[in-house]
Amino acid sequence: MSLYDPERDRVRTAGRWLRWSARWILVPAVLGVFVSGNVDVRSLPLFGPERLSAVLFLDGQAYFGHLDDSGESGTLVLRDVYYFQNSQGATSGLPVGLVRRGSEAHEPADGMRINRDKVLAVERVGLTSSVAQAIAVERELAHTASPAVALNQVTVASANALAVQRTAAEHDLQRGLSAAADQLAKLNDLVLPISKTEAQMITEKALMDLRTVRRNALAAIAAATGLSSADADAYVRATDPLLEGQTFANEPGVLLAPDLNGIVNRATQLYAQVGDAAAKQLTQSRATPSPSPTPTPRP
Amino acid sequence: MTQWWDFTLPVLGRAQYQAIFLANGQTYFGRYYDRIGAYAKIEDVYYLQQTKSSDPNAAPDTKIVRRGRELHGPASRMLVPKSAILFVEDLKDASPIAQFMTQDSR
Repeated sequence: MSLYDPERDRVRTAGRWLRWSARWILVPAVLGVFVSGNVDVRSLPLFGPERLSAVLFLDGQAYFGHLDDSGESGTLVLRDVYYFQNSQGATSGLPVGLVRRGSEAHEPADGMRINRDKVLAVERVGLTSSVAQAIAVERELAHTASPAVALNQVTVASANALAVQRTAAEHDLQRGLSAAADQLAKLNDLVLPISKTEAQMITEKALMDLRTVRRNALAAIAAATGLSSADADAYVRATDPLLEGQTFANEPGVLLAPDLNGIVNRATQLYAQVGDAAAKQLTQSRATPSPSPTPTPRP
Repeated sequence: MTQWWDFTLPVLGRAQYQAIFLANGQTYFGRYYDRIGAYAKIEDVYYLQQTKSSDPNAAPDTKIVRRGRELHGPASRMLVPKSAILFVEDLKDASPIAQFMTQDSR
């Protein structure tokens, strides 16, 4: 009878341990290192904060939103889309304003399908950036709910972020009024074809109209931020006098949420209309009544 | 999957930084990685910015700017469709742009 017991053979035991380790430790470890080294954890669906992408086009246009790119087709899908619109000369001092896609004449539905051949680059938008904050405030204004479970989270702005944007919009309104009032003052310094009294009356009427535009814009901001009519009234009455006489000239511009930006843009257009009308009245001489020709009896 | 599967092809002996010339005429500088799939990846992206000089006869001022301080505060990683890339070149370590990027990343 042999004393050799294969179960107690050290070489065999070591071999069994090696095979077990290779199958359950080494292979998973190598796989884990490979996967972790090649997965961008910040981009994984379901986990982490919102992933807002910037899609830059070859023609220079940039769109922001939730990107769905399986990589299998030549098309990217961007949802909840925002883009920049040229706003040179705007009261914010920024060269661009943010617009939400969907309000164009053709009223596109959500889900922009983009040909990848026309894309220059795809970037991740920083969540503390001006664009991300303006989008978050726009969602707050639209009462967008943040779902508990989603492939990509939806960030909605806090009350503080909304207050910052509201204040920036108020200051933009005042900068616009201040610029229009300055233009009127410069016109009054010129030699005008009307009397000083007439010029003063026209200027005072224009300034009143400008203040009315500002008050209406403040009421629109109050309505957009969801204040009740009583609260909106109190807000306008409290805010309007605080803005009077201010210039906010050296204040850095804030990229506004599209709804607030729309209110400021509308007010700026109205300021320009009021200013143009006043300038026309100031620079045109009043038509002096010419004596009507008296009929002469024919010989 | 395009966004999170970040497998890049290893390249031996290449320079630290590359210049990526794009189809729209723009050039980005950074660390270029050839990913599997439709996109290439650039990390730590810089670009040249020209500003008009106050003297109309003088050449515009050119400076190199690190991407990230724009209004949308982009992250350091940029994905570029390979169809938008004209060509890629290595930068010499002694090139002023490479030296600036090395110093700036410290």
